[in-house]
Amino acid sequence: MAVETMQSYGPAGPDPDRSMGEKLMALEKRARLMYTLEVALVWVVLFVILTLALMLLNFDPRYVVEHFNFVLEGLWVTIQLALIAIAFASILALLGALGRLSTNPIAQGVSGFYISLFRGTPLLIQIYLIYLGLPQIGRQLTIMGYPQLGQMFTLTAFQSGVLALSLNYGAYMTEIFRAGIQSISYGQREAAVAIGMTRLQTMRRVILPQAVRIIIPDIGNQFIAMQKDTAQVSVMGIWELTFRANRLARQESKFIEMFITAAILYWILTIVSSWLESRLERRLAHAYER
Amino acid sequence: MLMNDKSIIQVEDLHKWFGMLHVLKGITFSVVPREVLVIIGRSGSGKSTLLRCINFLEDPSAGMISVAGVGVLTGPGIKPEHKKILALRLSTGMVFQEFNLFPHMTTIDNVIEGLVTVKRMKKDEAIPIGEKYLEKVGLRDKRDVHPIRLSGGQKQRVAIARALAMEPAVLLFDEPTSALDPELIGEVLDVMKEIAYDGATMLVVTHEMGFAKDVSDRIIFIDQGLIVEDGPPEQIFSNPKDERTRLFLEPLRKVQHL
Repeated sequence: MAVETMQSYGPAGPDPDRSMGEKLMALEKRARLMYTLEVALVWVVLFVILTLALMLLNFDPRYVVEHFNFVLEGLWVTIQLALIAIAFASILALLGALGRLSTNPIAQGVSGFYISLFRGTPLLIQIYLIYLGLPQIGRQLTIMGYPQLGQMFTLTAFQSGVLALSLNYGAYMTEIFRAGIQSISYGQREAAVAIGMTRLQTMRRVILPQAVRIIIPDIGNQFIAMQKDTAQVSVMGIWELTFRANRLARQESKFIEMFITAAILYWILTIVSSWLESRLERRLAHAYER
Repeated sequence: MLMNDKSIIQVEDLHKWFGMLHVLKGITFSVVPREVLVIIGRSGSGKSTLLRCINFLEDPSAGMISVAGVGVLTGPGIKPEHKKILALRLSTGMVFQEFNLFPHMTTIDNVIEGLVTVKRMKKDEAIPIGEKYLEKVGLRDKRDVHPIRLSGGQKQRVAIARALAMEPAVLLFDEPTSALDPELIGEVLDVMKEIAYDGATMLVVTHEMGFAKDVSDRIIFIDQGLIVEDGPPEQIFSNPKDERTRLFLEPLRKVQHL
């Protein structure tokens, strides 16, 4: 009897369990594919509707084509601004988070104050204060007899933009870093400390590598938000995407043409960024896949 | 208590409060090299806390702890030097109930992490040592695998290799089999037995009475923050002096076939 039951699991002959499983999987796969296609179709329809609406509005595509390169050049400035600012913002956020988690009253106080101040005030005002307010302090210092120190307070528009974005986003991202660090189980810290690591080594080797993986989607989200907030630095006359579009729009009152061009460029930038982010996320997930 | 020159661990009048809760109420004992000491007691008796005070994962509220010649004194208003605590931790290796392997590192990287980061060893010098200890716990073939792909028993064996790789004077085991499925406990206990026979000094907090009986040289029974009984396993299991020890062991006898 026992031998007979064993035989039914042998490799020879069709296995009814297996073919049924394959059939179900194929059906599931087809259903998933259909769903993706349907969603894509909705996107296409929405796109067509919007395009038709634009045609009705007397949209002038020639104006876009003519000036496309001029606007596109602004995109590089935007990318540069965002990349440099997200890097500085991450460093600030890490320091801010370590301060928030520290038991040192100075670190705790400074980081708390920083977060509260920069989250509590509008980015645009921060930009004005850094670009227009700081030189005022510089002039005062020059009058007081420190001309070299005074000069350091006058930043170029680009530098001001990077500084304002970094400080502003650093404050928001501090909370992301803090949450990421706190999400790592206490046992990890104990294991590191038990083999003799210092607090700094524990943070660098054990906690941060795990925390960063967890917060990558949030950092990506902030990066995408920041790309669009770079538009606000156009008020300082930086020749980035929005500034260039605005300039051409006003020249011949082609507002829809130019601002839609700029909007689409931002949109494409965010799509590419989120695609890159998801790739990075998948790569970092390697150690956690069974 | 007299200072014993031979002892490698010395704990004197150790107290621990958690807020208003007095968990350890003056623990004094010592351990000699190559000794396997098992600490038993009910949950909440303070046995894990005691173990965690020895390498300062918990800050003792008062008392003196000395491991391999590094003595640290604590008490109200006395803040022990951080350097001394780091030195003391280098003399101890610890194995946790929940393994606590570093999930972002492969097994070999887990094992050599302390050598590379703490002992500043070059990676290619550390790897052979790491492989040696993975071999010791029977997991050399898993060297490039991340912890998520290991079973609970395998994880704990890697954690033991990680502790061994630092070549500490003393090994601390904090309920090393309590988080394991029953069928995986044996492989971990076997590795621990082997280490014990190799001559390691071990402090083991466990509920595995079979291990305590077969492997330990000495058993300490802790109840309500105090050492109630301290003696060789034969005495503790066949002829406990204290009524509380007998009451603790009686129900376990039936379950664990002692």
